[in-house]
Amino acid sequence: MHLPDGILPVTVCAAGYATGGALTWYALRKINRQANPRARVPQAALLTAAFFVASWIHIPVPPTSVHLILNGLLGVLLGYYAVPAILIGLFFQAVMFQHGGLTTLGVNATMMGLPALLAYVLFRLRFLFGRESRAGTGLAGFLGGAGGLALAVLIFYGLLVTTIPATLDIRMERAAITALALAHIPVVLLEGVFTALVVLFLQRVRPDLLDGASGWTPPVPVAAPDPSLPGIRGADEPHA
Amino acid sequence: MWAKATAKIRVKVDIMPGAKSIRWYYLLPLLLLPALALAAPVTAHGSNISYTTGPAVALVAQFDNGEPMAGAQVTIYAPDDPVNPWMTGTCDAEGRFTFMPDPDRPGNWEVQVRQSGHGDIVVIPVGAGMATAAGMGEGVARYAPVMQPVGGVGGYTPLQLLVMGASVVWGCVGTALFFINRK
Repeated sequence: MHLPDGILPVTVCAAGYATGGALTWYALRKINRQANPRARVPQAALLTAAFFVASWIHIPVPPTSVHLILNGLLGVLLGYYAVPAILIGLFFQAVMFQHGGLTTLGVNATMMGLPALLAYVLFRLRFLFGRESRAGTGLAGFLGGAGGLALAVLIFYGLLVTTIPATLDIRMERAAITALALAHIPVVLLEGVFTALVVLFLQRVRPDLLDGASGWTPPVPVAAPDPSLPGIRGADEPHA
Repeated sequence: MWAKATAKIRVKVDIMPGAKSIRWYYLLPLLLLPALALAAPVTAHGSNISYTTGPAVALVAQFDNGEPMAGAQVTIYAPDDPVNPWMTGTCDAEGRFTFMPDPDRPGNWEVQVRQSGHGDIVVIPVGAGMATAAGMGEGVARYAPVMQPVGGVGGYTPLQLLVMGASVVWGCVGTALFFINRK
């Protein structure tokens, strides 16, 4: 579902860079305002790896085949960190495997990052059921995982259908795009279920991780490290 | 290597059981990543177009998991007119398309193959340009078949792709470990 180079008009690619840049700026600003902006970087890094690899996993949906995206899962688990995580994952997919493209990096980042933030909002619906409710958490996880990908597919569909070049057989290309978008319905459901399973597992073993991603302020375990001493290990630890 | 990395984190958790900042659970799914990559080494949803030239040009367009781009639309531009298509057509069920470029218009012919937002552009030298591409004299090269994989993940073996993917994954893990240690 990554848009490659040479498919979209230049204006759309430029607009994609503008929206992708604005989205990244907004997410980074939100991250920087948190009590400890570095606290969730490890999770973000590891989920970037998962996002990067997920596109290798293909699911045959005749007559085509589609691959996992996981942008909804990243949104649910990472909140605002999902945007830079997706951007970095997309960059490496483009330069390593020509999956997506550098001219369309902004478009792809918007197409997947914006729905990731929607997934984050949808997952907060679980507070309607109470923090301890397993059914509510599972349902909200499903909504986040599925809704995030569904919106990404809709953006993908809208971008392609409105930019079919006149030199092509428009009816035929539109049918092919529609078929590919519809083929993502099983993936949407699958990623919803997968996200629900992940959040239910985390709720059992580490509920604080879900709270952190959902804007619930967890108790800060240690003081934030002094940013002026990034290279000194243990600078924030109390002296014996 | 993966098991070792995870074991290392677990030790840290045992040393500092109260430190909430260590999210070692996130490392567990990483154990599965290399297995997934081995199961499907080259299945990114890009596209790969190869062609053979002689008097005619025969294209084969595939998604980079080897699936043919059946019914993909082909647009061909002559070297002297990059704006108006010289010819349009459709690949067959095996993703094949054959056309006969005009030999009186030597240069780089551009062929775009696309389907549902995926696709690629190949530049096919015809005439004098083709001789350069084949590294032979003009008269010979003009009729010598030239096989040239273009685009997609062409040029990398599955092992190379696996190593490249693993290095990116390891970079992410290293980033995570760096920030865990800084807590």
